[in-house]
Amino acid sequence: MNQSIQTQSPNNVSLLISQSRTNTLGNKTGTWRFVRPKYQEKTAPCSNACPLGIDIAKVEMYASRKDYPKALETILMENPLPAICGRVCFHPCESACNRQFLDQSVGIHHIERYIGNWGCNNKQSQINYPEFNGAQIGIIGAGPAGLSVAYFARRLGYRCDIFEKSNMSGGLLRSGIPAYRLPDHIIKDELERLNDDGIQFKYNQSISMIHLESLKNYHALFLCCGDTCPISLKIPGENDAIDGLNLLGQIRNHEAPLIEGRVAVIGGGNTAIDVARSLLRLGAQPIIVYRRSRNEMPAHPHEIDAALDEGIELRECFSPIAIEKDKNYKQVSLQKMKPGEKSNAGRQSYIPDGNRRETIQVNHVVSAIGAEMDIMWHNDQWEFTMSHCKMKRNKDLPIFWCGDLTTSEKTVTHALASGKQAVIALDILRNHNDVDINTICHQCQVGNGPALSFDIYSQGQRTQRDNNKIVPFEQINTAYFPNIPAVQENRNACLNSFDEVIIDFDESQVIEEASRCFNCGICNDCDTCRIFCPEMAIQWDQDNRHILMDYCKGCGICIAECPRDAMHLEVEP
Amino acid sequence: MKEVLEGSHAVSEAVRLARAKVISAYPITPQTHIVEALSEYCADGSLDARFICVESEHSAMASCIGAASAGVRTFTASSSHGLALMHELLHWASGARLPIVMAEVNRALGPGWNIWMDQSDSLSQRDTGWIQLYCETGQEVLDTMLQAYRLAETVNLPVMVVLDAFFLSHTYEPVDIPDQQSVDQFLPSFEPRISLDQQHPNAIGQMAPPAYYMEMRHSIQMAMQSVLEHFTDVETAFEHIFGRKYGPITPFACDDAESIFVMAGTSASTCRQAIKTMRDKGHKVGVLKLKMFRPFPYQYVRKCLVNAKNVIVLDRNCSFGAGGIFAQELRSSMYASNNHPQIFSFISGLGGRDITVDHFFEMFDYTKKAQHPENESVWIGLNH
Repeated sequence: MNQSIQTQSPNNVSLLISQSRTNTLGNKTGTWRFVRPKYQEKTAPCSNACPLGIDIAKVEMYASRKDYPKALETILMENPLPAICGRVCFHPCESACNRQFLDQSVGIHHIERYIGNWGCNNKQSQINYPEFNGAQIGIIGAGPAGLSVAYFARRLGYRCDIFEKSNMSGGLLRSGIPAYRLPDHIIKDELERLNDDGIQFKYNQSISMIHLESLKNYHALFLCCGDTCPISLKIPGENDAIDGLNLLGQIRNHEAPLIEGRVAVIGGGNTAIDVARSLLRLGAQPIIVYRRSRNEMPAHPHEIDAALDEGIELRECFSPIAIEKDKNYKQVSLQKMKPGEKSNAGRQSYIPDGNRRETIQVNHVVSAIGAEMDIMWHNDQWEFTMSHCKMKRNKDLPIFWCGDLTTSEKTVTHALASGKQAVIALDILRNHNDVDINTICHQCQVGNGPALSFDIYSQGQRTQRDNNKIVPFEQINTAYFPNIPAVQENRNACLNSFDEVIIDFDESQVIEEASRCFNCGICNDCDTCRIFCPEMAIQWDQDNRHILMDYCKGCGICIAECPRDAMHLEVEP
Repeated sequence: MKEVLEGSHAVSEAVRLARAKVISAYPITPQTHIVEALSEYCADGSLDARFICVESEHSAMASCIGAASAGVRTFTASSSHGLALMHELLHWASGARLPIVMAEVNRALGPGWNIWMDQSDSLSQRDTGWIQLYCETGQEVLDTMLQAYRLAETVNLPVMVVLDAFFLSHTYEPVDIPDQQSVDQFLPSFEPRISLDQQHPNAIGQMAPPAYYMEMRHSIQMAMQSVLEHFTDVETAFEHIFGRKYGPITPFACDDAESIFVMAGTSASTCRQAIKTMRDKGHKVGVLKLKMFRPFPYQYVRKCLVNAKNVIVLDRNCSFGAGGIFAQELRSSMYASNNHPQIFSFISGLGGRDITVDHFFEMFDYTKKAQHPENESVWIGLNH
């Protein structure tokens, strides 16, 4: 080691210390190394839980920096409708959020909603669709699944024709979700994203199975027509019940019949909740009747809570067995139910509790127990099935079943995911061959699936990640994250209008909430690794972070300090 | 301006007046009040310093070493187990010749767990190359702190200012707090002789093989040997501005004394009380309070004690197997004198036990009856 001695003798005090002016560049500590650090981004648990696999950690990073164009671009890579999803998605991302183990989950949907609104108000951020690739597809139904097919297909260069039986696009967004959750103007603004010569809407075209033959000139067809047939109650007097899904569409279009007084709303799903809350806003007194207990209701818990908060009565563990009509009222006979055995899937079954029965007297009965697909789309023979779509060929024409026709969970987000998955599958079929589908889809998988990433499929930045690795909370260095409670949402308490209930976050709330995000698994340039590197082996120049292997001694401090698991150690090759 | 001030806060005030730039400490009773006040000064802006919170005293001293190497005035405070934990870095601070100043509140080490006054902690660090200055009053604490910075920066050695737990650290006394202008005059801004320089990068404190190491250790000893001379200069300058002076030792009624008590810290006050009574009875007794323990002021001590018949040393510490530590130093001080006095070693007041006037009478009586000192230290005030 280079040695020099400094001697100074101010006021005759002896001062001799060891000192070297040789720099340490000659000391190549990299030779000590037997493991090496690597920047290796991973999948955040929120992305893994998102049916669309949105790169949420990155969205939050951009949002916290007020870089809304980048935040929007990041969402639009995986989800065409953030303003809508920010409102209606049941946000499984937040249930998976690592921050819940520190204090509270990040309010991801509020941020998505804000970014979506920003996109609606800043039209310069519209998508630049690519040149046509020469192929043209036909899409049946302009609901969320059909719109998603059109969006992703167009982004891959396909021309799209969408056949819609009504005179508007949006499907269930308009007819199945009340305005207090999703206002008209948001739907209108957001769907403008699909305004492109390559996407042609053909309204008032009801397509049935027998018409498919006439669409054989397309390179593929996508059936996105949804569940159109209400499930019947199968009890005496059911014809006196109003169809809930149809009623929601009528209310939205201001065409609903006058419904006053006490109304029994039968069902425990989101439609039942939507109907009940809508009727409340029209001045009626809805009573939700559900055959199992509140815990088994398929509706999303926060929707149930909202309904109960608004004063809606819930009669749980009652199954309607008959509806009788007299001059002024309807008498609904209810059978008391009790828990029975659990099904193989773990769901609690309910069985009649002896002869315990009650009758409630109401002015109207609404049936909202769900809908099923039209029998004509029924099919058992598939060439392949995936989590969110199924395919069979008619001669050489690939036909994809999408959206509610195939997904297990019937939500807007799953329908959008279905459209994306089907388009990727078609593109693989056209550019590779059938056997590649599994391999390529696996490469595009976010976390442990089933969500596919359009970014990865398009060879975007996410291909650089270890996408199969999901960051667990234990890998978060919580020394960097003090407890900060989540920003509270504000609600519009008005129950006699269809004004939106949940109020948009303002910009400061969005930044505060987005800043709470751990940004699990992604590098947000916090610079901690560089600051802690004892050998100054980490360099950051021209926005490029890299490690000088001549000096990195493999101590692993950068990995231990990285707050968000964006690095890992690997054995020296 | 005179204020009634806690001993701990006399330290804090001095650090504020000295304009320390980096303070790093870990709380430990009975030192905590010192850094508690300093953290408030940093927070309210009355002291423009960086307060570095750390997870241990080892890191506190490491922070001070880093900051001092960068060329700023630093401060830490500790006590007992905290000081013991710092031990490794105490050597580093002096070896690197960094003028760090520390306040050390004398406290016993466990077990049995004890937070009270005892000199074992600071005396255990006697060989680390730190200057040690023991104080008796709040005023002396404040003044010594200011002197410590000037002394440290003159000789490039770290200084430990030592005060008794509770008897001094938690006692309120009137203290004259000097104005900032006068302090700035006495203690101008720090001009480091060793500091990291970004324009001329250098590594300090790295390997010194046999061909170099010994000279560096000799350099420390040379600097230590020059401390008394520089301390005198510092005190002269201090007296010129503030009108107060303490000296490396403080003799009281020693000129004609046949027996002289020797100790450090607050028990000197009690002892002065005791010898007034003894003098009234016609005994020629005096008190020598030691302020400076490292470097040991041999010549001053020798000069003061050479004509005495008996020297009675009170140690509030014990080097197990050897006895009182101050007594050992006194013996080696006086051995070279031709006609050296008898040196009696007493140990008392460990772990915060009170030392009363009667204890000094007891020690004095013992020396009157004894022909010569015992080989071992005699313990005074044991409960049996």
